[in-house]
Amino acid sequence: MSVLLDEAAMGEAVASLAGEIRAVAEHGRVAIVGIRSRGDEVAERVSAILKEAGIEHDYGMLDISLYRDDLSHLAENPKLQSSEISFQVDGSHIVLVDDVLFTGRTIRAALDALTDYGRPARIQLAVLIDRGHREIPIQPDYSGVKLETARMDHVIVRLKKTDGEDAVELVTTP
Amino acid sequence: MSMLIKGGEIASEQGAPVRGDVLIEKGVITAVGENLEAPEGTEEVDANGKVVAPAMFDAHVHFREPGQEYKEDIAHGTEAAINGGVTGVVMMPNTSPAIDSASVVRTVLEKAREVSRIPVYTSGCITKGRAGEELAGIDGMRNLGVVMLTDDGDPVANPAVLRNAMEYATPFGMFFASHCEIAELSGPRALNEGKVSYQLGIKGTPACSEEICMDRDIRLAHATGARVHIQHVSSAIGMETIRWWKERGARVTAEVSPHHLIFNEEDIGEYDTHYKMNPPLRTSEDNAALLEGLKEGVFDLIATDHAPHSEFEKGQDFVSAPNGITGLESALVSLHDRFIATGLVGWDLIVKRYSAEPRRMMGLEPVPIEEGKTADLIIFDPSGETTFSRDFMKSRSVNTPFLDQTLRGRVEMVLRGDEVLLQREAS
Amino acid sequence: MARKDFLDIASLSREEVDLLLDQATPFKELFTRSVKKVPTLKGKSVLMLFYEPSTRTLSSFEVAAKRLSADVIELDVPHSSVTKGETVKDTVDTLQAMRADYIVVRHKMSGLPQAIARQTRASVINAGDGSHAHPTQALLDAFTLKEVFPELSGRKVLIAGDILHSRVARSTSSLLLKLGVEVGFLGPGSLVPRTGPEGITRFTDFDEALRWGPDAVYLLRVQMERQEAQYFPSVHEYHQVYGVTQDRFARIQGEGTYIMHPGPVNRGVELCHEVMDYERSLINQQVENGIAARMAVLYWLKPQTDSQEAERE
Repeated sequence: MSVLLDEAAMGEAVASLAGEIRAVAEHGRVAIVGIRSRGDEVAERVSAILKEAGIEHDYGMLDISLYRDDLSHLAENPKLQSSEISFQVDGSHIVLVDDVLFTGRTIRAALDALTDYGRPARIQLAVLIDRGHREIPIQPDYSGVKLETARMDHVIVRLKKTDGEDAVELVTTP
Repeated sequence: MSMLIKGGEIASEQGAPVRGDVLIEKGVITAVGENLEAPEGTEEVDANGKVVAPAMFDAHVHFREPGQEYKEDIAHGTEAAINGGVTGVVMMPNTSPAIDSASVVRTVLEKAREVSRIPVYTSGCITKGRAGEELAGIDGMRNLGVVMLTDDGDPVANPAVLRNAMEYATPFGMFFASHCEIAELSGPRALNEGKVSYQLGIKGTPACSEEICMDRDIRLAHATGARVHIQHVSSAIGMETIRWWKERGARVTAEVSPHHLIFNEEDIGEYDTHYKMNPPLRTSEDNAALLEGLKEGVFDLIATDHAPHSEFEKGQDFVSAPNGITGLESALVSLHDRFIATGLVGWDLIVKRYSAEPRRMMGLEPVPIEEGKTADLIIFDPSGETTFSRDFMKSRSVNTPFLDQTLRGRVEMVLRGDEVLLQREAS
Repeated sequence: MARKDFLDIASLSREEVDLLLDQATPFKELFTRSVKKVPTLKGKSVLMLFYEPSTRTLSSFEVAAKRLSADVIELDVPHSSVTKGETVKDTVDTLQAMRADYIVVRHKMSGLPQAIARQTRASVINAGDGSHAHPTQALLDAFTLKEVFPELSGRKVLIAGDILHSRVARSTSSLLLKLGVEVGFLGPGSLVPRTGPEGITRFTDFDEALRWGPDAVYLLRVQMERQEAQYFPSVHEYHQVYGVTQDRFARIQGEGTYIMHPGPVNRGVELCHEVMDYERSLINQQVENGIAARMAVLYWLKPQTDSQEAERE
C-alpha cells in the first residue's frame, strides 16, 4: 500500500477542480451534483469554494445504487441513501462530481438517474481522480489528478467528513 | 434352546434392578439368581452393565391395516415394536374400513397371526364406522377376544350413545377407552391454544376441550358402572381430573404418551409437523405435571399412540398435515434418555407402566423375570446409544421428532419364549 | 446481511428493521420525480401468487415491482385453499418452472410461505398467511408512524378489533414492540387472546383504552364472518362498543390522536364516516407508503437464482 496523495495534495486537487468549474460557472448558472458516497463530499467542497467566490449555483446529491448494472453480482445491495435534487433539472447545466473515475459505469448509472429527474440542457463530468481503465466511452470534462494504475489495483479515497482524513492510497494486488 | 444371561441388572416393578443371572430353558425362565451354572449346550450372554427387563407392551398403536398400508401395516408395525423392545400391542380401530365388526376383527387377527412375531390385540369400535351414531357389532367382536372398545381418533360426541354403549357392553366384561375432546371447542385440531398458536396464527385447541370430555366420559362410566380408560392425557388439569375421580373410586385408568412427557408447544418452532398430534403438545408446566402424575400413579400406563403418516402427508402445511407421530421404536430409548438416565425415574416405574400395567389392563399376565415364567424380556444397554435413522427404523413411516437424532440407550436383545426376536451387536 | 426471504417480523433483528425503515424513504422520494421508475430489477421477474383475493396488497406489490422495472407475472390460482392432498412440494414444482426471482405469496394457511421458501431458490415475500404474519404491512405501518413520530420509542399505539384472527395485529405489534413502542390490544374478549405475546396491554373497554393515552389508534378490519361465528352479537353492537363512534371520535380529535387502518374500511363499523376526513388519519399515507416499503423489501432481498460473483470494486 502506498500513499498517492496526502492532505495537502488533495487540497490542491480539489482547488484545481473547483477552479476549472468556476471558469464555467461564472458564465452561466451550474448545478453541482455529487454522486454518493464521497462524490457528494467532493461536490460539497467545490460548492463551498464557489460560494466563497460569490458564485451562485445549485447543489445536489445523487444516490445511484438503484441504477447500478452489477446488483445481481453483489451478495448484498448497497445501502440506499436519499438523492437530493431540489432544483429544476429541465434545461439546467449540471456538473456531475465524483471522487474517482474508473470503469465509467458509475457515471453511466448517474446519467441515467439524472435524466429520470428531467432533461438537463447540458451535463459535464468532474472527477477528483481519473485512474484510467474505462469500460465504456465516458471521459471527464474536468479532473483534479490523473493516476497511472493497474486494472486490478484498488484506489482508496478517504475524505475528512466521510472517513476522518484526506488521503488517497493505492493498494496493489500481487 | 437354552440361554444363560449373566451379570445383568434385572429390572422389575418392585424396585431398583438387582444384579443376577437368568437361565432360560425351552422358552421358560428356570432360574434367577447369582452365579448360576449353565447346563451343557447353553448359550451364554454377557449382560454386564446392561439391564435385563420384562419386554414392553403398548396399549395404543395405529397399524393402519386395513386400508392405509402405505402408512403402516401389521407386518412393519410389529417389527417396529420389536425394534423398540415391545412384544405386545393393542391396535386402534380407526382403520379403513374401521374395525367395528367381527369380520374386520377376524381379518386383522388372521393377518397378524400370519405376519407378526409378537401377539397383536385389537380394540373394536364403539360405534359403526366410528360415526358416533349406531353401536358397532359388539358381541361379534367380543367373541373374537376384543375387550377394549374405543372410537379412538374421535370421541363419541353424543353422550347418550356412549352411555348406552357402556350399559350394553359392561356386562360382557368389556371396557372403554376414550379419546377425549369436544369437537366444537377443538377447532382445526392442529396445536395447543396458547402462546405458540398466537405466534403461528393458527386457531389452537384449548386443554379444556379434552378435560371437559374426559370428565364427561368418567362421569358416564361412574354412573353406568363401566370401566373407562382415558387415552393420551396431555394436560395438568386432565391429570388432576383423573386423580380426583380415582380418589372417588371411579373405575378409571389412564395413559400418558412419551411425547406429552417430553415435548411441548415450543418445540413446534416454524411449523414442524413432527410435533403435530392430537391431543396437542401443551406447555412445559404440563410436561412437569404429567411426569408427576406418572410417578404418583395417576397414570396407570405409558402408551405411544404410534401414528404413522407418510412424508407426503406430513409435508403439507401445518393445518392440513395429519395428526400423529410414530413412537414404538423410540419410546423406551427416549424414556431412558430423558428420565432414567437423568435420574428422574427408575426402571421399576417404566417396567410397571410400560410392561406390566398395560398387560393387566388387557387381562393379560405381566411378564416378570421370575422362575417359572415364560421368557418375554429385553436386554437394554444404558451406555449404548440409538440413532433413529431411516435405516434403523422398521416402520413404514418416519414421522418422529427423533428422526436422525441419537439418544442414550439401546435395545440390544428381545427374547420371547424360545425365540430371539432381535439381536443387535453390542455397542 | 441480505436475506433470501421476507416471511415474518419475529425473525428480523433490530438492525434489519432499521435498515428497511431507512431505505423506504429514498424509495418514497422517487414518487415525486417525473419518472417514478428505476431500472434496479430490470430483467428480474416477480411472481404474484395470491391464493386469497386482495386487490390492495396485490396492486401495491405490482406497483412496487414495476417501479423497480421487474416483470410482474400474476399466476391465476384458485382463490380457495390448496386443493386437498396437494402438497407444498407440488406447488413449488409448478413455481420452479416459472423461473421467478421473487415470489409474493398470500395464502389462507398460516405457514405456507415458509414452506414454499424452504423449497425454492427464489426470494419469497409473505404477503399475508392465515392469521400468522403480514410483514410488509407491519413495515409500512411502522414507516408511516415514523413519519409523524421520528422517535417511536415510548409512543403508545392501540390496535383495536379482531386481534385473534389478525395477521396485521400480530406483525405490526411485533414490529412496534421491537421499536420500543408500547402496544395495547383492544377488542371483544372473544377476539383478543388472553395468551398473547408479552409486553402488550389488553383492553376490552374502548374508553379505558383511550384513557391509557394512545398516540395512534389502529383499527383492524372487521370480517363479517366473525359475527356469523358468534364472536360478537351484531355489527351494530360491535360499532357501539368497539368502533370509533362520533363520541369517541370527538375525544380522539381532542387528544390529537392519529388514526390508522389497513384498509379497506367498513364505514360505520370500525369507524364513523367523519373519521375519513380527519386530518390526522394516516390511512391514505399508509397506502402510498406501502409501495415504498415493498420496494425497500424487494431491493433488500437476494434471490439465489443468480450465480453470485464476488463483489467487484
